[in-house]
Amino acid sequence: MNRLTRFVASVAVVAAIAAPAAVRADDQDTIAYREDIMKTLGDQAASIGMIIQGKAPAENIVAHTQILALAAASALDAFEPKVAGGESKPEVWAQWADFSKKMNEFSMAAADLAKTAKAGGLEAVKPKMQATMTCKGCHDVYRQKK
Amino acid sequence: MTRFAKLAGSVAIVATMLAPVVASADDKDVIDYRQHLMNTLDHQSGALGMILSGVIPDKHMADHIEIISLVASLSPKAFAPHVEGGQSKPEVWSKAADFDKKMKDFVTGSANVTKIARDQGPTEAVNHILDALPCKGCHDLYRDPSKK
Repeated sequence: MNRLTRFVASVAVVAAIAAPAAVRADDQDTIAYREDIMKTLGDQAASIGMIIQGKAPAENIVAHTQILALAAASALDAFEPKVAGGESKPEVWAQWADFSKKMNEFSMAAADLAKTAKAGGLEAVKPKMQATMTCKGCHDVYRQKK
Repeated sequence: MTRFAKLAGSVAIVATMLAPVVASADDKDVIDYRQHLMNTLDHQSGALGMILSGVIPDKHMADHIEIISLVASLSPKAFAPHVEGGQSKPEVWSKAADFDKKMKDFVTGSANVTKIARDQGPTEAVNHILDALPCKGCHDLYRDPSKK
């Protein structure tokens, strides 16, 4: 083993020891998956906002609230692996009881909103919007926007 | 009508004739809305892809497929207004018959896979998953990813 090879090998060992600080391939998947779900929630919230402002078809509210409910149902599981990164603050896992309570409440409210939309359409949805779309309450505490 | 009023009237008519070139506020809404739909398809296909490649548990596979199916059901109408812009190529409207057929196949296919995923579970759904994700067949012809 020449000196260069030895040097490269030691760099590799040091890099391996230092590795826990970096994000692993599996962790990247975990982050990418939850980001796909959160971005879905973002696009759906925006679509619902457009419908309420009369900028998109009112009858589409039924499908969008269903999508919101389905995405909300998958969101908590996506955050379960303790993998910091993306826009998630470490508080997601440091305050897991509060985070998961908020997520569950959102998921239940979104499911209720979907039922309301199916039964009563846009006009029935409007009064429940503020109580359902609790995005900011969670994001202020648990999201570091990048 | 004064000469000024006549002139103002003609300017307004010319402006109206030129208008299709510039996207109006309403046109921007049409584009924004269909982009929200397409973004959701993109993110949900990404989530589904990670489940299919085994890096994410399949617990929510049926949810992701159902979301794709719901978005698919909204998509044909979102592209119905002839409003060019975003990543849509003009061919969306110049070849509307083909575009509509592909969209309808997507709506039907994704609804069928949703039913399979709900009734028979993720393993069976995998065998039909391509029916729910014919994205490339459409994007190759009708989408220009270099545009925003």
